[in-house]
Amino acid sequence: MLMYSSMFRLNVKEEIKIMKRFFKGVSVGFLGCALMFSALTSSADRSVKVLGWGAQSGPLKSFGVNSETALRSAVAEINAAGGVKLGDGTMVPIEVIGYEDSACKKDQNIAILRKTASTTDAIVGMGTTCSGSCQAMFGVLQKKVGDASDSGLQMPILADTCIRPGLAKISEWAFRNVPNEIAMYDALFAWLSQQHPGIKTFSGGTETDQGHSFITHTAVIVQAAIKHGFEWVGPDVPELGPKVKQGMKELQAAAKSQHWLMGDTNYSVQARKIKKQNPDMVLVSSHPFSACGFLKEMKRQRVKPKLLVGLTSSASQETLNGCMKEAEGIIIPTGFAPITAEAQKANAIVTGAGGFLDLHSAAAWENAFLVKAAVEAAGITAKSDTLAEDRAKFRDALATITASDGLIGPVTRDTASGEASKPYVYVQVVDGKWKVIHDPRG
Amino acid sequence: MEDFWYEFVEVTQTISDGLLFGSTYALIGVGFTLIFGAMGKLNMAYAAAALGGAYAGLAGFVLIKAPLVLVFGISAVAAAVLGYAIYFACFRFIPINNHLAALMASVGGLFFIDEVVVHVTRGSPLTFPSMFGDVFFEIGPYGIRGDLIFVFVIGLISTGILLYILFKTRLGLATRAVAQQDVAARLCGIGVHSTNSVTFAIAGVLGGIAGAMTAAAVGVLSPVMTVPLTIKGIIVAVIGGLGSIPGAIIAGLFVGGFENVFLYFRGIDERDMYVVALLFLFLVFRPNGLFGTAITRD
Amino acid sequence: MDYYLNLINTIGIHTLLGLSAYLLILTGQVSMAQAGFFGIGAYTAAILTVIFEWSILSAIGAAMLVSGGVAFLVGFPALRVRGLMLVVATIAFSEFARMFFYNLKWRVVRDGAEIGPDGTMGFAEIRYFNDNGWLNWEVTIFLWVFVAVVMALIWWSDKTRIGAVLRAVGEDELAADSTGINVTVVKIAAMTAGGVVAGLAGSLYAHQVTDLDHHTFTVLLATFAIAYPILGGLSNVFGTLIAVLFIQGLLVEGLRFLGDWRMLLFGALIILAMNIKPLGLFDNQTIRILRNALGVKRRSGSV
Repeated sequence: MLMYSSMFRLNVKEEIKIMKRFFKGVSVGFLGCALMFSALTSSADRSVKVLGWGAQSGPLKSFGVNSETALRSAVAEINAAGGVKLGDGTMVPIEVIGYEDSACKKDQNIAILRKTASTTDAIVGMGTTCSGSCQAMFGVLQKKVGDASDSGLQMPILADTCIRPGLAKISEWAFRNVPNEIAMYDALFAWLSQQHPGIKTFSGGTETDQGHSFITHTAVIVQAAIKHGFEWVGPDVPELGPKVKQGMKELQAAAKSQHWLMGDTNYSVQARKIKKQNPDMVLVSSHPFSACGFLKEMKRQRVKPKLLVGLTSSASQETLNGCMKEAEGIIIPTGFAPITAEAQKANAIVTGAGGFLDLHSAAAWENAFLVKAAVEAAGITAKSDTLAEDRAKFRDALATITASDGLIGPVTRDTASGEASKPYVYVQVVDGKWKVIHDPRG
Repeated sequence: MEDFWYEFVEVTQTISDGLLFGSTYALIGVGFTLIFGAMGKLNMAYAAAALGGAYAGLAGFVLIKAPLVLVFGISAVAAAVLGYAIYFACFRFIPINNHLAALMASVGGLFFIDEVVVHVTRGSPLTFPSMFGDVFFEIGPYGIRGDLIFVFVIGLISTGILLYILFKTRLGLATRAVAQQDVAARLCGIGVHSTNSVTFAIAGVLGGIAGAMTAAAVGVLSPVMTVPLTIKGIIVAVIGGLGSIPGAIIAGLFVGGFENVFLYFRGIDERDMYVVALLFLFLVFRPNGLFGTAITRD
Repeated sequence: MDYYLNLINTIGIHTLLGLSAYLLILTGQVSMAQAGFFGIGAYTAAILTVIFEWSILSAIGAAMLVSGGVAFLVGFPALRVRGLMLVVATIAFSEFARMFFYNLKWRVVRDGAEIGPDGTMGFAEIRYFNDNGWLNWEVTIFLWVFVAVVMALIWWSDKTRIGAVLRAVGEDELAADSTGINVTVVKIAAMTAGGVVAGLAGSLYAHQVTDLDHHTFTVLLATFAIAYPILGGLSNVFGTLIAVLFIQGLLVEGLRFLGDWRMLLFGALIILAMNIKPLGLFDNQTIRILRNALGVKRRSGSV
């Protein structure tokens, strides 16, 4: 029942001739497109150029839309206030020469990174949100600055999220603006143990095919809760502590039944197991779709824990879209909430422009200001013939910035790892909206 | 002894949950098998059209506060329209014995519908209203979801109606005639294209109901559901026997039940591997599935 | 330049992937297993260069052997199913392989850091090219030598009896069998060859992107693998290359300027392409048009 074109044979010489002419035609067409690309991405006036990228298609489209809106709005604010100062004292605007769609796919992220590095004048690449993509992107960068034997790319990247632990140390050209999940959950459970002395036992689940959710749940959230005196009532758990990394497999094996996949549609087995354990507190370490699916199933099974704790990535509008009622009461630590004048102003601007500010996109906003700070500290010339030096200077300056202004408070950076230490608050779904219930800074 | 009794209850509960949830797989499988039976082609865009219909139903709920029955109705109609559009775009103009091109075109259709949905919703998961969502029967130590029983019943009813149409109406006769031998059917004056497009539309109605049911059963609608549902639907159609509608129903329940049992005993990491292994077993030992072909002659 | 080299590399890798499916479609087997073989090749080569510190050529060679071996084993049960059932069976195989990678954990400590595949977290820092100072153009040439060799081999075999035998089996198994062709051997050989080529593609891919995880080796990738030969047409290997250029060059990269409309057009253009040219972009009609346009006279025959 298969059909394909039947025998076709040309004289070999003729075929070769045709192929040669054909490829000539294709290369001309290709060059034409190439010229078109470079024309689209270069710019005449002197300005500090940056190029952003994120997911603008696919199920994670909201990341890209929000981050782009936040970035462009922040850059507009900076330019309205005069722009940035170059090495020779002139004030120039920051120009976002493009925002590309990387669809949170590794291949596309790498392609866009290489495109930014080799065909544009951007001094920094500002993308993306998905941890897996960052892991791949950072891997093609030069590992250590100045290592001549390493042919990796020499292009600074300032990612707006990519929250999976430990990514920025893959390369010295890689920077992130993410809160430290270990610190956040540690502080959260310390506070919860004081606020809710009646809560003793806990259990929970995660989506195992999503790297960020899985490792944060297993290595960070569960451990932090145990550290602060909560008792894990899932299936038997081996001795934890420093053995956690090697013991991950045992822990995973032990907690098997409370795991699900990020696209799952049936959570009945997992919910029932939790019901049997009857914990006071339940962790739902999962992105909005499967978190909502699981929460809805828990509600159906009449599982009513006293406390619900979620994953940082779910402190967003998507969770409210997916299960406003069932998520009622869930507590999540997050790097953004409109609690300061700065934050409220930014929130108003970004919402007005059609996006949402949450911990992902707020980082994109802050990054624009971080770029300003680094540019001014680096003293770059913003001319296309000094591009490589400008990028190197920018990277060095960014690496030495130890403090910057975040939207909800000052952010410190660790020069060795390229990571940020951001202030955070705890938010909870109250009456269908995210409400800040505690700011640990008092 | 108490432990054994507890385990027994848990396992049977798991099986029953899985069976009931399997009704959603069954309906999607029926759609795939119907199109395969009628045209000998695989419509990869089927689950996408089904979910597209569900989104349309959700739009009705959100925009005009449609009552649930209407939501399901809108889903069914929208998916039928989408089904017809897929037929027109991906199957109508491609030579009838070129299976590969039609397959690839329907893959294009899958991408297209998914991306339209992403554009409209920004990829965000959306809460879907459920029928009888709060109904939960507690019979002794067992708990049975009312809404899944509803899905099961609707599934049976829709399939019954479908079988009635196929075997007791002229339209069904035409569909089966075209499926068996399209040249002869044409000679008898049956319009092949009009019959096939109606088949796609009917499959679409089923798909829309399946999509809405699945969304109601999970409670959330999201574009991440499309590919897993497509794969499950195809697996169910194959295990049931391509072209056999009762086969797809039974296979759907079977896959749903087994999936849950594997999850209960072996955990999430191995669950899908066992489902896949199950499929392999069928393909090796019973390549015609549970019931072989009911509509077409090979 | 770097960007275009990257694109050329991607096109090369996808061409290999497409060619591995092409070999199978010629024999009438529509195989979605190429994603699985691709993954096996990728992980094998990466493990060898990262954990065992092999050189790239030996790693690629070993990866080709392993994926070819697995393909050989898959070939046998594949004989029992035909047509769409084979599609489903091979989807099942690719999913099985993907789940294997999802579970694969093999961590080794080197220089104080952990390396190796880490289950769902993926396999990061496959930095053979960068660590050994390969320049981008060197990688491109390296990669394309493989692509050119494979393309040449397939093209040559198409001109000889091998091609005729493959196509005969694909066209009508019964007829082929009655002319004395051992259909079983041919189909399994095609599956094995497809596995070897896909494994080669995978091993190159792993080092090109430096990072692997199970999310890459999905049914979607398998769909792309068969899309290339179907879209390109089965008359010769250049069809697959044209299709890769069309999809990766034009649709994925070339349409970037359309922003978020790009992915909407993606599906629509595939539908359009299949409706306008159901036998592939590079079928007899195209070749005839090209020939007339480029002014080459046909000496004999009428096609």
